Amino acid sequence: MSEMLQYDYMRIALAMAVLIGLAAPAVGTFLVQRKLSLLGDGIGHIALTGIGLGLLTSTSPVLGALVVSVLGAVAIEVLRARSRSGADVALALLFYGGLAGGVILTSANGGSGTSLHAYLFGSITSVTATDLYMIAGLAAAVLGIVALFGRELFLLCQDEEVARAAGLPVRFLSVLIAATAAVTVVISMRAIGLLLVSALMIVPVAAAQQLTRGFRGTMLVAMAAGVLSAVSGLAGSFQYDLPPGPSIVLLALALFMAAVAGGSVVRRRRARSATAGDTVPATAGSGAETRVDAEAEVLRG
Amino acid sequence: MKDRPNLPPSAAPTAAPFTVDGAFVRRDGRDVLAGIDLRVDSGDVLAVLGPNGAGKSTLVKALLGLVPLSAGRTEIYGEPPARFRAWKRIGYVPQRLPMGGGVPATVREVVASGRVARTSRWRPALFNDRAADRAAVDRALKTVGLTGHARDSAHLLSGGEQQRVLIARALAGEPDVFVMDEPTAGVDARSQAALASALHELAGAGRTVVLVTHEPGPLEPLITRTLELGQGRIVRESTVESTAMGRPA
Repeated sequence: MSEMLQYDYMRIALAMAVLIGLAAPAVGTFLVQRKLSLLGDGIGHIALTGIGLGLLTSTSPVLGALVVSVLGAVAIEVLRARSRSGADVALALLFYGGLAGGVILTSANGGSGTSLHAYLFGSITSVTATDLYMIAGLAAAVLGIVALFGRELFLLCQDEEVARAAGLPVRFLSVLIAATAAVTVVISMRAIGLLLVSALMIVPVAAAQQLTRGFRGTMLVAMAAGVLSAVSGLAGSFQYDLPPGPSIVLLALALFMAAVAGGSVVRRRRARSATAGDTVPATAGSGAETRVDAEAEVLRG
Repeated sequence: MKDRPNLPPSAAPTAAPFTVDGAFVRRDGRDVLAGIDLRVDSGDVLAVLGPNGAGKSTLVKALLGLVPLSAGRTEIYGEPPARFRAWKRIGYVPQRLPMGGGVPATVREVVASGRVARTSRWRPALFNDRAADRAAVDRALKTVGLTGHARDSAHLLSGGEQQRVLIARALAGEPDVFVMDEPTAGVDARSQAALASALHELAGAGRTVVLVTHEPGPLEPLITRTLELGQGRIVRESTVESTAMGRPA
């Protein structure tokens, strides 16, 4: 660990890993609850066109990716709001268009396969201190939005009709969460790559929800799991000369497997203490079984 | 302005909570609601009855502006739903707690989200009056008898307990009008009793309640008006002269 800290780029990369480990699962918790787990993936495809545009106009590829992916995210939300059935195909068109456009634009720029590869699967070594400042600013913005609008977004993700009947600006909040996801994709793409970026938004949340009972708890555990897998995945990739993105994602998946195993133990223990007359409800088994159990408990009580 | 539930309505002090004029709702080429006229006055406890598919849920959603009308109009306190702003006066209890993507939420988190209409949109949660929020959530949990379950995962409770969570969420917002969609469907006896006591408290405080139900059951003595729907039309309307609480209808 101390050896890798001697390199400037590794210090920058580790700081970045902490930032994306925090930001990606925070946004991901809302996406999972809204059943939009693949939204980040789609935005990643669209962002590639932004990178192509950035390279072609010799401006910043990150800036290009930011603008195009936020616009893409807004377009996705508008399509979703318009029609639930047509949106599915429209989304696919948008995703493939983004990916194909990105590849064409980068090759039109004379860009080699390697620069494209760096964006698709992540390349830590190319990150500069200026990139880090930009990413830190964006990560702060993402976490700020989650803190500011957390209550509203929670209700929106629970039940959209109840959110409307509470007077929440449902359309604005939907666009806000999609745009925040787009910003998160752009933050994470340098380290993890556009094709895998969504994993860090979703997998830590999937792991956390095996163990937790509440929304806030899930988000905090997911953020911890995100930082853990991002930092140790990066360190491992340096140590064993592996690509960072896939290392981070595989570590997050390993954490998920561990959480599934741990979760079933926790649930069994809770179920046992419930039958022992505790107030903790039975949580073992499938939802239907649980409901029957709890119902029986109520009737007995 | 912030924490008083009983302030006079800001928009139009004399307007009824809900008015409906010739409302039609079309879905899949069929009129789910076909010309409903209705006025719900302050203090009414209105039960909307009728068989499955009669349009009961659609009617309450139309009242709240959650489904678009194909003809006619509805108003909430004298304003069309799109222009209505005082949503903190409305507490909506949906039929069930959606599972969503399966991220767990504690009972307390779900109930606390009922306060959201009372908090300023542009002020972070940190600067809102958290003591008042906490007290309201505690009261709501106590009313429905779920204080002991506050830290449990809401989705792992029984159907009846989940229904009580949803009622507590509406109670936590301290609204003037409650709109409840089938609060008694598939609910065990204990939850029905908890619901009846919550409603008793509301009706006693002069709140307006619109309630969709198959079977009034233990809620019967609280109801001041009934409305029976059949195939999207009002087939029978009746007013109970005086209730068990001695309140004139």
